[in-house]
Order: sequence, then C-alpha cells, then structure tokens
Amino acid sequence: MRRPPAVMVAVVVHRQHVPLKNKQKRDNQPMTQTIHMALAGNPNAGKTTLFNTLTGSRQHVGNYPGITVDYKEGFFTHKNQEINLTDLPGTYSLTAYSVEEVVTRDYLVNEKPQVVINIIDASNLERNLYLTTQFLELGCPLVIALNMIDVAKDRGIAINPEKLAVLLGVPVAPIIARSGKGTDILIDQAVGQSGQQWQPRDISYGEDLDAAIMDMIALITEEKFLTGIYPPRFTAIKYLEHDDQMLKKGQQENSLTADILEEKVTQVSDHLLKTMDAYPEAIIADHRYGFIKSILRQGVQTQNFDTDRLYTSDKIDKVLTNRLLGPVFMCLVLFGLYQLTFSWSEIPVSWLESFFGWLGSQAETLLPDGPVKSMLISGVIHGMGGVLGFVPLIMFMFLGIAILEDSGYLARVAFMMDRIFRIFGLHGSSVMPFIISGGIAGGCAVPGVMATRTLRSPKERLATILTVPFMNCGAKVPVIALLIGAFFSENKAMYMFLFTLISWVVALLAAKFLRLTVLKGPATPFVMELPPYRFPTLQGLAIHTWERTWQYIKKAGTVILGISILLWAMMSYPELSAARKADFEQQRQLISVAVSPAILAESSSKSDAVSEEALTLRQKISLINRQESEQALRHSLAGKVGLTLEPISTLAGFEWRTNIALVGGFAAKEVIISTLGTAYSMGDVKADASDSLGQRLTTDPNWNKVVAVSALIFIMFYAPCFVTVVCIAKEAGHWGWSLFSISFNTIFAFLLATAVYQIGIRIG
Amino acid sequence: MNFRKFHRKCACLADKVRSCVPQPPCHGHGHAHIAPLSESCRSGRLRICKITGDRKLCARMASLGVYPGEEAELLCPENGAQCLLKLQGTTLSLDSHTTKNILVTEI
Repeated sequence: MRRPPAVMVAVVVHRQHVPLKNKQKRDNQPMTQTIHMALAGNPNAGKTTLFNTLTGSRQHVGNYPGITVDYKEGFFTHKNQEINLTDLPGTYSLTAYSVEEVVTRDYLVNEKPQVVINIIDASNLERNLYLTTQFLELGCPLVIALNMIDVAKDRGIAINPEKLAVLLGVPVAPIIARSGKGTDILIDQAVGQSGQQWQPRDISYGEDLDAAIMDMIALITEEKFLTGIYPPRFTAIKYLEHDDQMLKKGQQENSLTADILEEKVTQVSDHLLKTMDAYPEAIIADHRYGFIKSILRQGVQTQNFDTDRLYTSDKIDKVLTNRLLGPVFMCLVLFGLYQLTFSWSEIPVSWLESFFGWLGSQAETLLPDGPVKSMLISGVIHGMGGVLGFVPLIMFMFLGIAILEDSGYLARVAFMMDRIFRIFGLHGSSVMPFIISGGIAGGCAVPGVMATRTLRSPKERLATILTVPFMNCGAKVPVIALLIGAFFSENKAMYMFLFTLISWVVALLAAKFLRLTVLKGPATPFVMELPPYRFPTLQGLAIHTWERTWQYIKKAGTVILGISILLWAMMSYPELSAARKADFEQQRQLISVAVSPAILAESSSKSDAVSEEALTLRQKISLINRQESEQALRHSLAGKVGLTLEPISTLAGFEWRTNIALVGGFAAKEVIISTLGTAYSMGDVKADASDSLGQRLTTDPNWNKVVAVSALIFIMFYAPCFVTVVCIAKEAGHWGWSLFSISFNTIFAFLLATAVYQIGIRIG
Repeated sequence: MNFRKFHRKCACLADKVRSCVPQPPCHGHGHAHIAPLSESCRSGRLRICKITGDRKLCARMASLGVYPGEEAELLCPENGAQCLLKLQGTTLSLDSHTTKNILVTEI
C-alpha cells in the first residue's frame, strides 16, 4: 500500500513493547500465526486497564483522560494463540481534532489491525457508541467490550448485550477490566472476528447528505482517490465533516479531485445552512445519535431508577470546584502534600544520609590512598549517595501525587486552573502537562512535553512545551530540598511550597511572553471530561509510587552514576604537576619537623582530646591539604571550565565549584547534587568524610542564604536536561525550538538569579 | 491630550477592568426562554437547544454528547461562565468560550 507523505508528517508515534507474560512463555505447544488486535475507545473507558490485565504489563493507568497519548504494544497468549495487542490513545471520534485522534485513525488505516476491540463505558453507552458508529463506517472487524458493567448496574442501568450484538452486527462481551471478569469470552470473540474482511457499514444521513455522499463516492471510486487508505464513503463523510487532515491529504493525493470534492462540500454546506441553519457535521452527528438511540430503545438499555439523580461524585464536585471554596481547598491539599512529604520523609532521609556518611568514612579508613579510593568516595559514594539519599522524599511525593491522580482530584485541579491559564495565553489542557512535569513537585518534563499532544492549537501546544520544563521535576526536588534543608531548615515545607508557586508564576509569565511575541495566536476552547471520584486502591497506589520511585533509583544507579564518575574524572585530571605536589609535601614536612615526635604522633591520632600544640599542628597541616586539594581541583578540566565561567557567574553569586555542578546539570538535573557532592568533598578536605553535603555547604564561606536562593532560582529555570531537549525537538518538530529552549531558559534564569543575588546582597 | 481623548482613554480602561470581573446576567428560573449556557446562574436541569459558533466546535460537542435535544444538569454555575455540565452519566468541564455557544432552555 502506498503511504502518502502526509501520513508521515502528521505525528511521531512512539512504540513501547511489552514482553510476554512469563507463564505464557512456558507453553511449549506449537503456536498459530500471531493475531494483531487494537484497543480503542473513549478516554478513561478503561483501555489501559484492560491492556494491563491482558498482557500482564504495568502501563500507567490514571483517573483522568489523556494518560495514553501514544500507542503501546503488548503480547499475550490466549488458548495457544499468540496475540499482539496495541493500546491506542482515547478518542471521542475519528475526525482529526487532536493529535490522539490522528494517532488512532492513522494507526487503524495504516496498520490495519485484524480486530479492533472497542472498549465502551457501559454506564455511558450512548456517547461511547458514537465512536463505534465511526468504526463501523471505517469497516474494521469489531468486537465491543462493554466495560464497567458493575458501575452501570449500580447506577440502575440494565444492558442487554445479546440484543446490542444483534442490532449492531458485531459481538459484544460484558467485562470488568479491573478484575479481568469476562475477558476470556471477549478474546474468544475477538479471535473469531480476526478472519473477517474490512467491511464498511452505511448509516443514512438524510436525503440531502446521502445524495451528496453518493455523488462523492462515485468520483472517489472513479479517480481511486485515497482508496488505498480509506473506504470511499468514509472519505466522503470526512470531507463533509471538514476534516483538516483529510482535506490536506486529499490535496497532496490529487488536487484536482480534491478541489471538486471541496466544491461539492461547499455547495451542500451552503444549502444546509440556508435550509436547516446547520453545518453538515451537525446533521451527521444528529443522524449518528439517531441511529444509536434507535438501537438503545429496542430494549438494549433500560433505566431502573431515576436518571436525574446526582451521584456522590457530583455532590463532591459542587463543593470542591466551587468558585470560592475550590481554590482554597486546592491550596490546602497541595500545602498538606508538602507538609506530609517533608515531615514523613525527614527520618528516613537522615538515616540514608548517615548511611552514606558512614560508608564514606569506612572507605576512607579501609581503602589505600589512590585514584580508586578517590573515585569511590568522591565519585560514587558522595555523588550517587547525594541522589539516593532523597529516595524517601521522592517516594512520599509520588505517593501523594498518586493519591490525587487516582482519586480523580487532579482533573478538578486542571478545571480550576483553566481560567488562570487562559489569562496567560495557555489552554486548560496545558494544566495536565504542567502537573505531570512537576507542577506538584516531583514529576518529569519528558512525559509532560509528550502530554501536550492533547492540545489542538499548535501555538498553545508549543508555548506549553517550552514552559513545562520550568516546573520542579523529580530531579530538581532533591537539589531544592538540599538547599532549603541547609539554609532554611526552620520551615522546609513552607519554602518548598513557595518555590513551587514561584515555578508556576515564572512558567505562566514566560508563557504569556511567548504568546505575546513569537507564538501570537487566538485561544482555543477548553472542554474536558471529568472522571468520577474513586477511592484509590492500595495496589494501584503502591504500583504508581513504586514504578516512579524505581525509575528514579534506576536513573541514579545507571545514568547518574556514569555521569558522576565522568565528572569525577574531569575534576581529578589532569593532576597537579609533580613539582607542585612536592612543594606541598615540603611545606607539610617543614611544619612536622618543627615539633617534637610526641606532638606529631598526638596530632596524627584520631582522638579529639589533644593538646593545644597538636591541635595547632593539625590545623596547619589541614590548611596545606585544603590548599593542595583546591589547587588540584582548579587545575583539573572541570575546574578550568568552572573558573572560565566564574567572572560571569559571580554576578549571580556562583563560585567556580558551583559552576561545575551547574554545567553537569545540562546532562541531567540529578547530576547537580552529585557534582556538588563531589566538588565540595574534593575541594574541602577540612570537612569530615561523614559530613553531609548540606553541612558542607552551610560551612562554606562562598555560600549563604542569598546565594542559596539565587542558585535555587537558576537551577529551577535554566536549560532543560538533555533528554527533555531531545523530546522538545521531537514534539515541536524542529531542533530550532530545542535550541531556543536552551538559550532562552538559561539567559532568563541567569538574569533572574543575578537580580535576586544583587538585590539580596544589597538588602543584606 | 484634549478632554475628549482623555475621557475616551479612561472609559476604555474602565471597560477593560470591568471585563476582568465576570458578571453574567441572570435570567432566573421559571422562564422557558433560550439563552447561552454561560448566562445560567443556578444549578439545575436544562435542555440543549442549539450549538453555535465555529463548525469544529459543533462537531466536537457532538462527539462529547452535547447536541440539540439532549438534557443535561448544570452542576457548578458559580464559576462564572466556566461550568461543569453533567450529561449522559459523565461530567464535562466547559470554558466560557464554549458555554457562550451552547444555547439552552431550563426544564
């Protein structure tokens, strides 16, 4: 099949492969050919839950729409039949309004799965069947999974699946995706449908439109216009619905035929506007709902009690989304989250800090002097330990986010924040990418940038992509927590909350600036389906918390460890010349020979209770050691980079050792903390090996509260990490935007940090 | 700057300030007339009469189940023009641009 170029420029689709379940791999019997199935349906209908149940994978499932923005593939075996299952993004229609809809439609028409499992929320049958009618028109072999049948029953909705199957002409299986109930029958039916040919079904749209559709079909068939991709009737309907992607594709395929079709559509539209005061898409939607209602009223769905009743979820919404009470409650919830995170994590964080301190002192005592010892202590233990020490804090933060997300409250936060976002030229759907990126500190900018796919307007999307890295992601949290803990320990939660608010304010102001300058354009409407409130399950919370925490630990143990060792090498080599080393050694010898052997022995002992003379000797030798370490660090490659930048960075209060860490942060933000750990342990031999990084910074003469705030501001807003930069290029479709993001954020962050430092030192 | 120009500038600024504060006119209950959803000021049941505005919005609304003839419940009209609308078992959050284009009548 020929693929027109438009298909390839539409979106970049990422695939994630999920391996076979272990128990299924043990099956030794010969297998038949793999069946290719796709899961499609409305957002929040339970597609990913069913995908996880069937494939045994642990894809992220959240209680808000738009979690799945790309498609994922998984494999499983059913009755000795290997099945390749693809989880598609949730969509309300097959008309290309948002990127998810384009991803779903392109996947269906290009990959042509053997069966599409249309997952439907049984408690909202009518609206969900709207998408089903479009699958029928597309002609893909279809099986309907009637999910959440238990919820429908609780709401007094009785559904007759057999009748629905007969009237729609496709198999219907009632299921509960969460528990896996009914999934065996569903897959049996899907396997049965897999041999079917793609057979489009016709729905009548009234005399006027049916006549126009017939004319268009004749022309499409005669000219073989897009017939390799879509059924002719489907193309005609999408032309009538004024589908942008279809119109563009049509122009690229055959502009002459496309022009004739567009002219035909204009004629029909004008006629309908004059006679019925409606566009063709409104008439088409009306007839589709008519078709659905005619089916439902034939005994498919019966309501056992009053449909007007408000459910608990609606009653809660009346309070929690109230114009006055809502924002107050939201602020209390978010502040409570920080308070709990810091208070609960304080003890385990101090345990880990002590553990890595103990590990450092053990290595100091047991290992022989040399580069291996230096690498293990400065590169591995202080570098990685600094990152891993914050695991409990990160874990509690993720637990809090998981509770908000699984309960459905996060979607309400998006709703309440929409009005504020509009003021700054962003869209309500931008809220979720902001939250995912670390709006509630602890997210990640990479999925945040990808979550912008739910935005329809390219300019609003780009403004969101460029500003979400300003949020306090999980990698920045330990750095922020470290500096707050070291310099503002009296009220850590309040300061953390304050810095989160600052990140929001700055991100929104930056967005406004972008929307007023390079990304000028009109606002698009915000419409979002709010999921019902649900009690988060312990299993769900544990999985969500653990999968995010594990990602953090894994990153610390792999990427961060590698970068820490690399930066240690850069901070250790080239070494001081032999002459310089000998010079320092001579200074030590001169001091040592000036005192008696008894004082020398006393000074070298580990005891704290020493004579005045021994203490003085100790301090003098320590001073020489410190000077030697500092000279060695200055002489190293990283030191030279730090020193080169120092004339500029001192404007913001950063000395050369801080510069090394900030440069390292371009690779990954976690590296800042590990590099600070390494730089301040190498350059400061006065400090005990078991001292925490926070203690070392507070005692360093180059650090104080003003420098800490300036550093916090710079770290929060400067260039995104390397992975985010790549992601921005991919999502924005151009590397220019990535370069813009790096330069704009760094200059902006530096100016802000300089302002803070200069004002701070003047105020005192 | 003459007085007229100064007066015009002040009036323009006042309009801008006024537009920042949502002041939806309240049509109250008991009147079966058609009005934009953004002007509804109390919770309650209503019927969707028409979707106006750009054609994409009409189609988008239809795919979400908001189309003429459907009955819905207004949950949170206190949020000015932004509101929560419950229909067909789901809750939709709509912004002011959208609610201005949904014409409804109270039931």
